[in-house]
Amino acid sequence: MSKETVTRINSNYQQNGVSDGAAEPWPENATLYQQLKGEQILLSDNAASLAVQAFLQMCNLPIKVVCRANAEYMSPSGKVPFIHVGNQVVSELGPIVQFVKAKGHSLSDGLDEVQKAEMKAYMELVNNMLLTAELYLQWCDEATVGEITHARYGSPYPWPLNHILAYQKQWEVKRKMKAIGWGNKTLDQVLEDVDQCCQALSQRLGTQPYFFNKQPTELDALVFGHLYTILTTQLTNDELSEKVKNYSNLLAFCRRIEQHYFEDRGKVGV
Amino acid sequence: MAAPLELSCWGGGWGLPSVHSESLVVMAYAKFSGAPLKVNVIDNTWRGSRGDVPILTTEDNIVSQPAKILNFLRKQKYNADYELSAKQGADTLAYIALIEEKLLPAVLHTFWVESDNYLTVTKPWFASRIPFPLSLILPGRMSKGALNRILLTRGEPPLYHLREVEAQIYRDAKECLNLLSNRLGKSQFFFGDTPSTLDAYVFGFLAPLYKVRFPKVQLQEHLKQLSNLCRFCDDILNSYFRLSLGGISPAGQEMVDANLQKLTQLVNKESNLIEKMDDNLRQSPQLPPRKLPTLKLTPAEEESNSLQRLSP
Repeated sequence: MSKETVTRINSNYQQNGVSDGAAEPWPENATLYQQLKGEQILLSDNAASLAVQAFLQMCNLPIKVVCRANAEYMSPSGKVPFIHVGNQVVSELGPIVQFVKAKGHSLSDGLDEVQKAEMKAYMELVNNMLLTAELYLQWCDEATVGEITHARYGSPYPWPLNHILAYQKQWEVKRKMKAIGWGNKTLDQVLEDVDQCCQALSQRLGTQPYFFNKQPTELDALVFGHLYTILTTQLTNDELSEKVKNYSNLLAFCRRIEQHYFEDRGKVGV
Repeated sequence: MAAPLELSCWGGGWGLPSVHSESLVVMAYAKFSGAPLKVNVIDNTWRGSRGDVPILTTEDNIVSQPAKILNFLRKQKYNADYELSAKQGADTLAYIALIEEKLLPAVLHTFWVESDNYLTVTKPWFASRIPFPLSLILPGRMSKGALNRILLTRGEPPLYHLREVEAQIYRDAKECLNLLSNRLGKSQFFFGDTPSTLDAYVFGFLAPLYKVRFPKVQLQEHLKQLSNLCRFCDDILNSYFRLSLGGISPAGQEMVDANLQKLTQLVNKESNLIEKMDDNLRQSPQLPPRKLPTLKLTPAEEESNSLQRLSP
């Protein structure tokens, strides 16, 4: 499949969410591509991949996870994860949610307009603060960069390619941070932002099982992906996971989703 | 707080206290929370700072960026979110993130990147407020910064061309405006009857879009169709910013009141007079009605007179 058709399809989902394959049911051999789990994948990509996996589990759609070293370059938008369903390739949670909706599965149909607005707003909050903080920590904090990120990012490639790719990616991320005003932030300020974000999520969740009471939605999948990854990834220091551990209802939330959707994979429904 | 708080920011126009979104957010928040803010508008002289506007200066601190300034004001006990519940506070953060992600790129594009708008409206306005020779450089730099921000955050593959990015960001912005309109509904402010941080942010981003006259106006047209958002902006402008706009100053308001008092007094006096006249008329002795003299004709003479006249 040529790159042009692939890019066209992906931009189609981003634009109007209507697919050509809407009539086809979900095939059994749908696959999700991400980077190599053990040696290569980074915190932010792992979080995104887990979010998509959780979402598909919540929709009861079977998916097989395949790890490839060049997943980032195979993806039509340059971001992981991406799913290969039938003859279509869709990347990133937003377009995937729309693609799945076009096939007739949706988690947020039961919400009214105000709730949908809230859901979108909270998803943007997670992307704006949590994801950006993860990127900052991985690529702009010298300690983490030196010890973990550079080594992991270039690990499948021989010298000197591994160094070149790592530096190139770091330069890109730093440029983006500067453009959105995070370039001058210190690590402490970033951690404070993470804390604020977790506090907001915790207050919104309250004592409910999911963000919109009984049924999980894509927001739950996204939050689970990020929080679980932060809690279970070993970094140079534990400050990031400590911030999340302060909120017990978020911990319970992650445990609940992990048990329902990842350990009891054979069971039907919630 | 005894120490004076000074805010330096870009000035106003088209009925707004400031044309710059971030400055407007801080000004609105200060009004809502009752913080006594002395506003220094950046003008043509070299005294004003131009870097990271808006900037709040107190005796020992210099704070830049709206989020930090709002935090600082809250620590000084000027808190507009006092009555919000925890969940509403969380919602505030989420909606602000939504505005920054979805609406801000399109607003930046409308002001700084769209060449018609930039060359006819934005650049002359800013250049007139920056001393020469910076006025030749700074607007261009701000424009490039805006374009950079849009491309770096939204221009990722497969949207390589600016035109495709434009389509996407305007679509997102319209959706965001619809979401905000849905959320506001019929209430006066986003959380009940008193304005809060979220109202300040929404006002700061919407008001310039609403009021500034642009040649290319697609986002403005969309906003004008959402009547509750327009009403929201107008309400805030009228209630919180009317006094400093030179419309009706406090002294003027008193004059109007005094005039009104005089008028009512006059009317009262008149009605008193009328009452008195009425009383006078009733109490004065009534003359009997005058009898009008009438012609008396006998019936026979009447008929013969009429018959004689009729025959030729």
